[in-house]
Amino acid sequence: MKHKKPWWKQPGIQIGAVLVAFIVIGGIIGGIFLTQTPPEQPIAFPHNRHVGIGASCLYCHAGATLGPSAGLPGIEKCWGCHQQVQKQSPELTKLAGYVERNEPIPWVPVAIQPEFVRFKHSPHVNAGLQCSACHGDLAKMTVAEAQKGQNMGWCLQCHKSSAPEQWTKLSDCATCHY
Amino acid sequence: MAEVSKGIAEKWGLVVDQDRCTGCNACVVACSMENNVPFTGEDNVAFGRGTYWIYNKRMWEGTYPEVAPAFQPVMCQQCGSAPCEPVCPTFAAVHSEEEQINLQIYNRCIGTRYCANNCPYHARQFNFEDPNIPEPMNSYLNPDVTVRRRGVMEKCTFCVQRIVAGRQTASAEDRPLRDGEVTPACVAACPSDALVFGDLSDPNSRVSQMAQNERQYKLMDELGTRPKVTYLKGGGRNGG
Repeated sequence: MKHKKPWWKQPGIQIGAVLVAFIVIGGIIGGIFLTQTPPEQPIAFPHNRHVGIGASCLYCHAGATLGPSAGLPGIEKCWGCHQQVQKQSPELTKLAGYVERNEPIPWVPVAIQPEFVRFKHSPHVNAGLQCSACHGDLAKMTVAEAQKGQNMGWCLQCHKSSAPEQWTKLSDCATCHY
Repeated sequence: MAEVSKGIAEKWGLVVDQDRCTGCNACVVACSMENNVPFTGEDNVAFGRGTYWIYNKRMWEGTYPEVAPAFQPVMCQQCGSAPCEPVCPTFAAVHSEEEQINLQIYNRCIGTRYCANNCPYHARQFNFEDPNIPEPMNSYLNPDVTVRRRGVMEKCTFCVQRIVAGRQTASAEDRPLRDGEVTPACVAACPSDALVFGDLSDPNSRVSQMAQNERQYKLMDELGTRPKVTYLKGGGRNGG
């Protein structure tokens, strides 16, 4: 009688296992590449240099204290400084091009909330939260990078630890979802 | 539900004066615009699949030829002891402890429709289809409210987006909310002031004063749902 191979030595199983491993690894790499790399911006804005010379976040993202969206600077704000500070660099040439054509810069949003989440900047900033608490240390980034692990548990963790006396309000579904 | 025995905490409340309501349906339109309520079309309405967060019940009183219409705007009654909440298997219909209203959490909802079947007021609507919003009309959508997709239950929220915005404005200015500062869209649109919204926990607010009127009654009070909406019975004095 022919000796039967154990199941893990069957060629069909082995080929199948290799195929499954390829698909899983490919999915992981593709997923990381698609979601964890910062999107390409029209101008590779060096946050580190601007934060490094002491520019306040609120100077460019002025909406953060006032409303839901922190806002992005328009060409007037960029050009307000860069009219005077003109160094030759390919990125600044791009900026000059936008100013010349009087076109808004099509920045790509990085920190995006799902559609059913109503995040507002103003209550968080007015409560004294630092921008870096959620957006990471921009002094070490060029273009903004999405931060990892910002899910609902992360939101609630901060709500619980920073203001336990307001837990009823801050854990209420209607505070963020409507 | 433990809070039934303790008594219901009061917060937001609505008073509907049926003597003042003229049945103009401005509240229905304002609500649809504010809350991105989809237009489902004639055929779906005929199937009973229309979506309205507030509807105006019209009744004819008297015998012909002396008939007069009576109007009763009905929206989610934001029950203190809500029949929709305990039947939800995914906790999508939850009670807001802060605002004391019933919430529908759209991203939790899996569309079992138990809540709508258990609601005695027909306040809950189900999205049988994705909203059909052709190109220029998407500009009317309110960015503060989620556009619900197919398979999700929805209902009146007392315009909780306005409540939260008002609360956050007040806290940014470091003051308590004023009476009448927060109004849902239906109340803001009502031309005859038949709808009054306010804080029931404040005995001096306009809504608390009106809710003590001798004409007051609650819709299907005998069910023990403890609605937050108070109706003032109409005497046929003002068309309603």
